[in-house]
Amino acid sequence: MSVPLSSKTVRDLRSIVGAAHVITDPDRLLAYESDGLTQYRAAPSAAVLPASSDEVARVVERLHGEGIAIVPRGAGTGLSGGALPSEGAVVLGTARMNRILEVDPDDRLAVVQPGVTNARLTEATRPFDLYYAPDPSSQSTCTLGGNVAENSGGPHCLKYGVTSRYVTGLTVVLAGGRVARLGGSGRVASGGLDLTGLFVGSEGCFGIATAIEVRLLPLPASVRTLLAIFDTMEAAGHAVTGIIGSGLMPAAVEIIDRATIEAVEASVFAAGYPKGVGAALVVEFDGTEAGLDADADRAERCCLEVGAREVRRARSEEERLGLWKGRKKAFGAMGRIAPDLLVQDATVPRTRLPHVLASITEIGKQYELRIANVFHAGDGNLHPNILFDRADPDELERVERASHEIMKLCVDAGGTITGEHGVGIDKRAYMGLVHNETELDMLRRVRGVFDADHLFNPGKVVPDAVETPAEPVGSERASAAHAEAGAP
Amino acid sequence: MAGVRVASAAGPGSDTLASALEAQRERLLPCVHCGFCLPACPTYERLGDENDSPRGRLHLMQAVVDGRLDAASDAFHTHIDRCLGCRACEPVCPSGVEYGTLLELAREAAARARPPALPTRLLLSVMGSRTARSPFFVGGRMLRATGLASLGARILPSEGVLGTGRLGLAMLAASADGTDRIRRARPAGGAHASPLAEGTSPDTTPADPESPNVPSSPSDPPSSAFSAGRRARVGLLEGCVQKGLFERINAATARTLRFNGYDVVPVPMGDCCGALHAHGGDLDGARRLAQRNMDAFERADVDLVVTNAAGCGAAMKEYGTLFDSDADLADRAGAFARRVRDVSELLEEAGPRPGAEVPCTLAYDHPCHLQHAQGLAHAPLAVLGAVPGTEVRVIEGADECCGGAGIYGITHPDLGGRIGRDKVAAVRAAAGDAACTPNPGCMMQIGAGLRLEGARADVVHPVEILDESYRKAGYYE
Repeated sequence: MSVPLSSKTVRDLRSIVGAAHVITDPDRLLAYESDGLTQYRAAPSAAVLPASSDEVARVVERLHGEGIAIVPRGAGTGLSGGALPSEGAVVLGTARMNRILEVDPDDRLAVVQPGVTNARLTEATRPFDLYYAPDPSSQSTCTLGGNVAENSGGPHCLKYGVTSRYVTGLTVVLAGGRVARLGGSGRVASGGLDLTGLFVGSEGCFGIATAIEVRLLPLPASVRTLLAIFDTMEAAGHAVTGIIGSGLMPAAVEIIDRATIEAVEASVFAAGYPKGVGAALVVEFDGTEAGLDADADRAERCCLEVGAREVRRARSEEERLGLWKGRKKAFGAMGRIAPDLLVQDATVPRTRLPHVLASITEIGKQYELRIANVFHAGDGNLHPNILFDRADPDELERVERASHEIMKLCVDAGGTITGEHGVGIDKRAYMGLVHNETELDMLRRVRGVFDADHLFNPGKVVPDAVETPAEPVGSERASAAHAEAGAP
Repeated sequence: MAGVRVASAAGPGSDTLASALEAQRERLLPCVHCGFCLPACPTYERLGDENDSPRGRLHLMQAVVDGRLDAASDAFHTHIDRCLGCRACEPVCPSGVEYGTLLELAREAAARARPPALPTRLLLSVMGSRTARSPFFVGGRMLRATGLASLGARILPSEGVLGTGRLGLAMLAASADGTDRIRRARPAGGAHASPLAEGTSPDTTPADPESPNVPSSPSDPPSSAFSAGRRARVGLLEGCVQKGLFERINAATARTLRFNGYDVVPVPMGDCCGALHAHGGDLDGARRLAQRNMDAFERADVDLVVTNAAGCGAAMKEYGTLFDSDADLADRAGAFARRVRDVSELLEEAGPRPGAEVPCTLAYDHPCHLQHAQGLAHAPLAVLGAVPGTEVRVIEGADECCGGAGIYGITHPDLGGRIGRDKVAAVRAAAGDAACTPNPGCMMQIGAGLRLEGARADVVHPVEILDESYRKAGYYE
């Protein structure tokens, strides 16, 4: 159940951000009860939509002054439940902070408000032949504030690295409404410890970034994109190992399996992937024109050597964008083949891909679940999509168990529990698989430096000393999601 | 046939408002909450409230289906009502959620729980009846012809009830023929030295029958030369607003289609398409009108049904879905829907034949119900491409709604006004001789917006330009 705020608090919030931007009607708070991970739902006590850094600071000061926790939210596209409201908390949405404050083509920097979408930043900088490199698949809708919180990746992060490599400075509102500027301007080196780096990836637990300064890159002069078709997923995995092992530096290496191809081809983003094959591998090279063809030829040979049925090359920019569109919309397209899905996110050493993929198939069989695989193969970042129908409680139960086994499998293979989606609420219970108590204690203490009282995104990422995992919801009313503390 | 009452999708238990939506479960379930629709939504972009996003609205609908939300609630009513119905969320949805259809059902559920406001009900009943429509539009044309509409738009205050009247009169004034200035313009040079006009052959005089742009001898009587069964027999939907205020566009549609070889037959018993009713939550009203159209066009024995209004085309192409729950009529409605074409589709398919030079620059805007609902962005541009000397500038943000959306400007003056002003700014930035868009509602919305800002307010439909091009070439003589 949501806990209503006092009328005095609501009045104060309204005077700060305007009456229309404080949502307290329980019916209207339904829209804020989950993010992209809909297995969990919990109603916040309010949602507040400030428009400026100053408004954020005043809202935070007001709420924290009363000990009310805040759950930051960008576009609500996260897949680990990072924006899931917690009991009694207020959602602070950045949707209205959607202005690009500055683009400086000479210094190759941009400063944006947190609600600007990733793709819009690249659109705005393209006239200067610049772009923002991290490209999460949700880039058309996810916000840079969310990218900072999750330290987001994307297909091209294989070559270019993730968000933390691009954020050079942050204005942040900390617990109690204090404002800090982390990092310097990208124009001059900052001194001291790398607080910016610490903040990026803090999943909303440290505070709220209200201005984000990022580095921009020049658009690559040329691109080559290959599509290799394999009869088996295993062969595709071997091809990835071969390509990376041969010393090539692809910008992206993505794998799409049979079930995903089916979903994408049934959607409006049909990319012309062949149906009925084991896996498709997308490999992209970018950079200066010279040498790109040679690289593409070598990658093609790597694929053919391990038994690729055929290797195609995108002949036009249109074809290339079509191939990517299919890949990037794959998550949404799953709705075509199943009512619900759970997207897992884990990373394994690249060389273990064939083994891990085969084992995931086995897990699917064992629990009688359909698992569609689409992932950033180049850096071993797996996204098994478990398809199910939440109306079937037995199936839901099997999804949970299979999900846990996949996590364990990846960790046992020398991997970790997340590649880019973050820990949020969903992976919190798995933190013990990859961290010992000393490490967990460090995480708790670092968090305490920023937010001693856990008033930002409480209950996320770092498990409390005594674990209280959230329970996924079925088709019944969801407010119980956090009510019960169960066994781990 | 007219006596057959169509059962509502909600069935006998229509007091359980969720049941209509419940029947559409498979349309709702594909939403996986990915949020790709958020940036495509004009209301979310401006308000930032997720209840005003497609995902948020689907969530509200799902909550009604799940029994977690009352269809009579203020939240459901307000946010479902606040949707423009532009359907920009559909082409970006990876799961293919049929948002437009769901919105209509949600509107019906909301309207049953709480009847819509008086202006909406009045408009729907006027449009749904020939007898009421006719005098309504006679009055409208008189206000327009006497200049009273234009005057009222200038002198009435912008706030309150009179503000609503002002907007209505401005829209009425904006329905006037916008081709006058274009018609009088001289080719190449002078005030109309648009880049494209300079590029065209200077010796191409407008009415020159030997013009290199004219493929066949103009001495061929075009209608007889091409209409002898070479292309389809098409029936034109005269429509409600088109017939009332845009008869000239219906006429231009018939002429240009005939000249491109179509056999255009009149279907006088055709009616309003029912789009306004469906969007307004009156699905029964929409079905009644749809049935009248099915009767009329079937009797006329046409191969295809053509319309020059994006909104009507989108609605008629979805007649099959409208009768989803009616086993008797679903197939027939589906067959009808498959015959519906926008005029630009037919012209594009035919070529279309080029005419004489019409030197002008057009600020073009895509109607949502052509681009998003019918997936037709190219066809109208192909129509304009057949007119030498006409430069088309697709305006910035042409994929976003103009805020017209039926009577949105009247029901939501603040938000509709904001969206409309952004569109008008984009039209003005394109600096054309006229705005151009192939949908009467958008034409009036943009024209009214320009007018209220004191800007030059000529708005044209692409077939008017093609028609003018043919007229100048002497094809109709």
